[in-house]
Amino acid sequence: MSSGKKFVAMSLLTFIVIIVLGAVWGHHAPADPVGQNFTGLANYPKTTTNVPVSQAGLNQLASDSARLGVSINFTWTLVTGFLVLFMQVGFAFLVTGLTRAKNAGHMMMMNIAAFAVALLAYYAVGFAFQFGGIAPIANLGGVSPLTGIFGHGSAGVIGLHGFFLQSHGTYDVGVMVLFLFEVVFMETAGYIIIGAIAERISFAGFLLAEIAMGAVIYPIYGMWMWGGGWLAHLGISAHMGHGAVDFAGSGVVHGTGGWAALALAMVLGPRIGKFNKDGSANAIPGHNIPYVVVGTLILVFGWMGFNPGSTLGATDLRIGLVAVNTLLAACVGFVMAMIITNAKYGKPDISMSCNGMLAGLVAITAGCAFVAPWAAVVIGGVAGVLVVYSVAFFDRVLVDDPCGAISVHGVNGAWGVLSVGLFADGTYGAGWNGVTGNVKGLFYGDVGQLWAQIAHVFVGFVWAWGIMWIIFTIAKRFMQIRVSEEVELQGLDVPEFGVLAYPDFVLHHAAAGHVTTDAEEVGNGSTRTVDLEKS
Amino acid sequence: MKLVVAVVKPHKLEDVKAALENLGLQGITITEVQGFGRQRGHAEVYRGAEYKIDFVPKVKLEILVDDGDAVKIAEGIQTAARTGKIGDGKVWVLPVEYLARIRTGELGSEAL
Repeated sequence: MSSGKKFVAMSLLTFIVIIVLGAVWGHHAPADPVGQNFTGLANYPKTTTNVPVSQAGLNQLASDSARLGVSINFTWTLVTGFLVLFMQVGFAFLVTGLTRAKNAGHMMMMNIAAFAVALLAYYAVGFAFQFGGIAPIANLGGVSPLTGIFGHGSAGVIGLHGFFLQSHGTYDVGVMVLFLFEVVFMETAGYIIIGAIAERISFAGFLLAEIAMGAVIYPIYGMWMWGGGWLAHLGISAHMGHGAVDFAGSGVVHGTGGWAALALAMVLGPRIGKFNKDGSANAIPGHNIPYVVVGTLILVFGWMGFNPGSTLGATDLRIGLVAVNTLLAACVGFVMAMIITNAKYGKPDISMSCNGMLAGLVAITAGCAFVAPWAAVVIGGVAGVLVVYSVAFFDRVLVDDPCGAISVHGVNGAWGVLSVGLFADGTYGAGWNGVTGNVKGLFYGDVGQLWAQIAHVFVGFVWAWGIMWIIFTIAKRFMQIRVSEEVELQGLDVPEFGVLAYPDFVLHHAAAGHVTTDAEEVGNGSTRTVDLEKS
Repeated sequence: MKLVVAVVKPHKLEDVKAALENLGLQGITITEVQGFGRQRGHAEVYRGAEYKIDFVPKVKLEILVDDGDAVKIAEGIQTAARTGKIGDGKVWVLPVEYLARIRTGELGSEAL
């Protein structure tokens, strides 16, 4: 065996040993997996013996402590929401680093414009569609004017209260906290698509995609899962476990973004020079690997809000486990992608290892509150392997995804959703989606949960991919969704925005990705194939 | 006067400079350049797709010297820049027809 193969074999062996040990120790009864014993009373001396207590005083105390609990939850939800907002920075760095210098201004502008435009779309209608009919949220005080829903009982399809955060008396602090937290999740799904459409979409086409994401695609599917909709109620209506479960949005957020990104990448076609006539793929290296690494680390940091924050309250002490599971999956994802690229291509690939870290995060997002730490390691490890093969797969089927958005968010979003149906260990989720008992996956005896998760992936894919594909296939007839060939070769910065990201770059380094201009149309319409310039 | 031009590996620049200072170097201009020679570039893999790095980063040096010093300087560069592996670069000498120091207007060897 060569030393490379030995290294891989040893790594895999270590990985398996870790999992086995984790799983074996997992059979010990967990000490306190939801924090139910943390009453805090033990910290106070018992001085109340023989002291008279008035009922009025007790009532005041009860009311004060309940209000404090809500305040803590408001604070938690807002601060974790701010962390998720910061992921915007990480993603901007990541995707800009993974693309060429000549498009860096365009990439950054897309990231910040996505934020502003999609936020307004979500404020206007998206939030109402998604959460207009949600059941009162106990962690946020339990009172909510969001009671408008279309679809009876377990068949809710769209929310109806809260347009412009005003309609039907939704001018309410609880609604505002919920809006802030949920709008940054929508933003995540919104900016994911940038990774797959980079370096060729026109800015106008991009804005259309963002409005579609913020107003329709994300909110309505999100309603089915999180807004009291029919997918979440499959447990009640169709006896599938607890209905479709997605704790922080492997499917709702990342899947939606990744699947919509796939539709966009297919309609737009690959970048000039990405594929050769024989169908082989050319590498078009990104211009700033340090950006990729910094961006990835910022995303990991933001994820500490994304997943633990999804309890909508710090009074749910499960947040400790959620945060740890998230970190475990991230690091295992990175290590596995590093090992696989080293074995497959001869060196560990920096950007692919970073993608592996994000893949681990995406995959654990659905199950982070429902699985034991050893299962988080398995879920993240599978994600790290999956992402490497998925990127190679999409190259083979001629879908050009410059930043791996489809593989990281779409493929691993699906894996994350399914993993809940396998690994949920029955220690959390009492009464989830109105079904009694805790959430259990196949390995803990509930095959129904896996069916609900499969339904979740299927419906989510058909919806997000399908609607985006329809919108852009129609839009293609009426507007220019892709820049001209000349603009693409020159770089999008000046033609679209009149400014260069790096004006001090005198030379256009004609390394990889530089192509002759005699591009030609072959195959099905938008598929371009150009040979690399052989100098 | 002569112009000594050399293309060397970037990490040998400090060695070359030190060697030339010992030979009485009076001035030097350097540029970051890219290029390839007989060995061409090399292949790498990025995200699963192979690509060729055609243009390898190098440093180009330009040194103006008196006729008698040209070979000495060129040989000094050869010795200091050599690693014995492919890609060590080249050094060559060109005649200079006219030379002036812009500040003072001195010409020829005076301007060195």
